[in-house]
Amino acid sequence: MVKLELRRDRIVARWGDWKSEWVIEPRYWRNPTIAITALFLLPLLVQSYPHILTMITTANLYAAIAIPLALQILGTARVNFGPQLYLGIGGYTAALLNLHWGWSPSLTFLAVIVVCGVIALLISPTTWIAKGLYFSLITLILPLTFLDVTFIWGDIFRGEVGLVGMSPLLNFTKVSWNYLAYYYLSLILMLLYLLVSDRIVRSRLGVNLAAINENEDVARMMGVNVDRYKVVCYVFPSILTGIVGWFIVHTFRTFAGVTYLPLEFMTKVLIIVIVGGRAFLYGAIPGAYLISIVEDSLRAVGPSNYFLFPLVLILLIVFLPRGEGLWGLYRKRRPRDYFPKLHVRRE
Amino acid sequence: MKEILIHIALYTVLWGSIYLLISLGFSLICGVLRIFHLGYGVTFVLAAYLVWTFMEHAHLGLLPSILLMVLVQIGFALIVFYKGIFERYLEEEEVLLSLSLLVFVAIAHLANYLFPVTAGVSLPTTVVDDVLTVGGSTIAYQMIVAAAVGVLVTVLYVLFFLKTRIGLIIRAVSQNLLAARLMGVNVNGMYYLAMVLSILPPTICLLVIAPFWGVDPFMGSPLLMTAMLIAILGGLGNLKGSIVASYLIGFIHATVSFLFVSRFMGLAALIVTLVVMIYRRGGIFAGETLW
Repeated sequence: MVKLELRRDRIVARWGDWKSEWVIEPRYWRNPTIAITALFLLPLLVQSYPHILTMITTANLYAAIAIPLALQILGTARVNFGPQLYLGIGGYTAALLNLHWGWSPSLTFLAVIVVCGVIALLISPTTWIAKGLYFSLITLILPLTFLDVTFIWGDIFRGEVGLVGMSPLLNFTKVSWNYLAYYYLSLILMLLYLLVSDRIVRSRLGVNLAAINENEDVARMMGVNVDRYKVVCYVFPSILTGIVGWFIVHTFRTFAGVTYLPLEFMTKVLIIVIVGGRAFLYGAIPGAYLISIVEDSLRAVGPSNYFLFPLVLILLIVFLPRGEGLWGLYRKRRPRDYFPKLHVRRE
Repeated sequence: MKEILIHIALYTVLWGSIYLLISLGFSLICGVLRIFHLGYGVTFVLAAYLVWTFMEHAHLGLLPSILLMVLVQIGFALIVFYKGIFERYLEEEEVLLSLSLLVFVAIAHLANYLFPVTAGVSLPTTVVDDVLTVGGSTIAYQMIVAAAVGVLVTVLYVLFFLKTRIGLIIRAVSQNLLAARLMGVNVNGMYYLAMVLSILPPTICLLVIAPFWGVDPFMGSPLLMTAMLIAILGGLGNLKGSIVASYLIGFIHATVSFLFVSRFMGLAALIVTLVVMIYRRGGIFAGETLW
């Protein structure tokens, strides 16, 4: 039985040994509420411009990829350079099952969770074996290898053109309603990820993860089961990323490995994390919106946007306050620096 | 069966030597600066397209174009990569890696924008334009030249590191930065030198492999991946490891393509690397030294 307890500034819910605290003091929830309300009202202002709606939907999805990545970086104490691997796996699982076996989106959703979970579990021992840069490099190579596979078995994956014609999640008669609905769905998905990650980081589990992030040996000495946490922190965000792939498949109704698997996409996600504020969960949202807006406005320039976009990203990294990012601009003092340091050099 | 074995042996040597040339610069930076140069692929792209630009648009001969290209390459590596990125972000490696990768992506796209595949970029760097017939199959002499150049460059580099005073200093920097600095080594100068030395093998590599490998703006990415695999497999920044790993990857590629299907060779090399890493965490030669 869940016991609720009202304290001066918070509601505490207890269930056995499990405890969850929800702060009710206004200074804690006022700004998030304003931000979320703004995000919910935003499409009403721009609903007559479908390309802007698509842009902010994409921004939400970028954030939904970056938030689990931030959580993963925190918990495994390693920088994953290939989060898009699971986006690809999730997307292809959903698309292929839907196209060839006619599975409905709800069934493909379960399949994506299972497939991503199993593959992530198989790959997760690399978090024990590979340290620092080795891990980053292996994770960098994995999606590129998967991209190779989509070309090798072109008759199944259609690596270059992608798969098209998957069944949609929602189908309204009015096209503009579809755009709106997909924006809200992506927003809810992103906020859900944020909420889950936020609860994890603030819980006892989060303290353990922070300990692993700071110093694995010390954490192990203090009785934290480092290996188990690392597997959990690798597998869970991977599944979340896979679900974004599933979402893309059933909303945009097209999925091509060549869009999501190459280095360009990875740099985008990683830069969202860096620009947003060093794996600080909330930073992913302003980071994703900024990157998405920059990307979309550069598209007007024509074919030269492909090389201008990386240049703009370079400028963003160089000139934004380092380490703090956009989130740091909002919140000058952070309680903890959650970004693990990569060390190849001897200490 | 005997014929297949001969083929595997032959291609192991050929591919291994070429891979050695591809990965030498990458391992060198990894060993001396102790960072991963994810912008390494730029060297190949710049080498190809700068030579083409100088030849086609400035109407220079092949040799002057190559010399000019090497100078621009060195300038680019020192100013953009070393001064611009490595020196500033040495302590924040995730920023360093992302920035160098972004420079690489930007240059590749710029090359694609200026010279799309339809521009028909090709380098007239064929040394011997003939084929050799061995046991029923043909091998381009250019490939043999590339392999020979690979071995030669590696031998020169190893001799340089083992026999000269500067080589000794670079090895010292790679072994213990602090101790080297205490002994009065100009570490910054050695870093500059390492950057310049790391430019040469990939540049030479591109020039000799261009006739049979082909040139395209996004060629840097698979070459970077090969270099990375070799560096990981060999042990970060260890030239001994790089030499062994290059031939090992060459052997895997040759075996897989002659015994099974050639399209699996990338995957097979990756799996072998992962398996090796399970048993030897730091790669084959895990010593924290250049040699």
